[in-house]
Amino acid sequence: MRSVSACALAVLAILASACSSTQAAPQPQPTVPAVSSPAASTFPMTLTDDAGRKVTLPKEPRRIVSLASSNTEILFALGLGDRVVGVDQYSDFPPAAKEKPQVGSFVKPEMEKILALEPDLVLGTEMHVKTTLPELEKRGLTTMIVTPKGVRAVLEGIKLLGQATGRQKEAETLVGTMGNRIASVEARWKGATPVRTFFELSPELYTAGPGTFVDDMVRAAGGSNVAANAGKEWPQLNQESLFLADPEVILLADHGSAGGQSPQSVAARPGWQQVTAVKTGRIFEIDPNLTNRAGPRVVDGLEMIASRLHHGKP
Amino acid sequence: MVEVAAAKVGVTGKRRVYSVGRYGVALAALLMASAAGVMVGKARLDPGTVLAILLSRLPFTDFTPWWPASFEAILLEVRLPRIVMGGLAGAGLSVAGATYQGLFRNPLADPYLVGVAAGAGLGAALAMAMPLPPGLYSLGVVQLAAFLSALLTVGLVYSLARVGRSTPVTTLLLAGVAVGSLASAATSFVMYSQGDKIPVIYAWMLGGFNITGWQQVTLAAPPVVAAALVLSLLGGVANVLQLDEDQARSLGVNVELVKVVLIVCATLATAAAVARVGLIGFVGLVVPHAVRLLWGPDYRSVIPLSALLGAAFLVTADAAARLLPGPQEVPVGVVTAFCGAPFFLFLLRRQKRSVF
Repeated sequence: MRSVSACALAVLAILASACSSTQAAPQPQPTVPAVSSPAASTFPMTLTDDAGRKVTLPKEPRRIVSLASSNTEILFALGLGDRVVGVDQYSDFPPAAKEKPQVGSFVKPEMEKILALEPDLVLGTEMHVKTTLPELEKRGLTTMIVTPKGVRAVLEGIKLLGQATGRQKEAETLVGTMGNRIASVEARWKGATPVRTFFELSPELYTAGPGTFVDDMVRAAGGSNVAANAGKEWPQLNQESLFLADPEVILLADHGSAGGQSPQSVAARPGWQQVTAVKTGRIFEIDPNLTNRAGPRVVDGLEMIASRLHHGKP
Repeated sequence: MVEVAAAKVGVTGKRRVYSVGRYGVALAALLMASAAGVMVGKARLDPGTVLAILLSRLPFTDFTPWWPASFEAILLEVRLPRIVMGGLAGAGLSVAGATYQGLFRNPLADPYLVGVAAGAGLGAALAMAMPLPPGLYSLGVVQLAAFLSALLTVGLVYSLARVGRSTPVTTLLLAGVAVGSLASAATSFVMYSQGDKIPVIYAWMLGGFNITGWQQVTLAAPPVVAAALVLSLLGGVANVLQLDEDQARSLGVNVELVKVVLIVCATLATAAAVARVGLIGFVGLVVPHAVRLLWGPDYRSVIPLSALLGAAFLVTADAAARLLPGPQEVPVGVVTAFCGAPFFLFLLRRQKRSVF
């Protein structure tokens, strides 16, 4: 059982950090004053990261190790691909990220590999605060936690990273475009009756509960998460409760080889024929990488969810 | 022969063993648990509606449904199969626990100690990690792999533990723990190397009855019922095994053959339960002890009574789990541990005489 619970921790950690965060961590500070008025970066620079720590960067980082796919995507989007010298196992986007040296798993990166890359900045998420971060600090590495907790928080995360890497202008441009796209989705569905939505992580009905990234995205896209009052971030939804909530749309993150589910298999489950989403055929396979990563593609995920929720409406 | 053995281990007479009263009590407990299970759930269906939905399914009754279709699905496709599966799993784990305890003459023996549960977990993890066509998964390939792997694990444990022609209890337990650890380690490795499938495997291992349907019930019922019946009939031989093995042999019992039969049946019951509902602890350990404390150590009654009481216990625990507020599922294993441990301690305090 010991190894089962070890695995359990690892999984929850992956889910939690990939999709959003736990409440245990400190609230992100209202970032840095410089964000509102982008000025040229001056190093050395002191910033407050998403774990509430003061981080001093002696000079513009040139050798960056990213321990999470979300931050890797932000770095590449800011044009810093050539400064990324190491990534975790899940950093697979953009394709160039896959060519970078790997420093081990996202949950438990390998200290030796990180040290061998001689990074001048190591980027982690909330996942790493209690385990990896102390180890890195002990060895004198400069570390920063960037771990946005909602769709709009991603914009702040991008600005923070832009500032830390001397890429404010690029960050402002990116955030501007993303902000517009988020605003147009929100504006389109504001005030409309929310579409009852079930986000399936596994055929055992594990789902994303309140306080998660997915929950926030569904709401922003004009939906209401049927697990919104489940009381925890990654609950297993009771099947009776699911039937009572009667979702109008089911989003499958466990399709294909990862879980073997498909709209057909969901429709064939005993008792599911009376669920509105099944009756109306609104069951969709979605790419979890678009909904789980707090990076630039979050807007793609948001637009994708909105189009699924309001199928057939302009 | 059996009576001689029973007398030697301090169990007296036929009368008490076959007395109807204790079976009546256990059966009543199971019926009450099932009735409670039908009535309670996240969906608050009132008893009248529940009865009407059930009656409407009988021939020659004529009801115009006043309830929404979702109620019918909840009761007939979610709640009922869940209760039946709870009963089967509780019975399977409990008869297996009783048998392992008698077989190894060790009060701590339960389906986990001999590596069966870990073996089942490894099989399931492998099946989920392999790139099999999706159609196979809906046919229950995961459960089948868990089942086969559990049988393989016990086979391995048993052959490792064999010294010459006999199988000493200590080596059997040691081999069980070692092979079980190996299977757990292998499971961890499978999960570690299949990052994208971790949530899927993890969700399965946590187990539970949330998505139990009639199909799972029909797959689990034959092995559990068959194993429970055979083991119940072998209670007398289990009594003999409580003697010194040489004494047992002198009574004309083929000790090795008996051990193999008992192990195969107990493993069948465990694997069938674990493969459907995941890892649920405490049932196989607590229920047989409770039966022994209530009605004495004669295996002729311990095994069948464990089946009935184990079923009642797990059905009740699952109903209790469904009573907790909120739309999320509470793992039934948490409930079994929370009710099982204090109940066990209470019985132990009340009746301090040695029962093993």
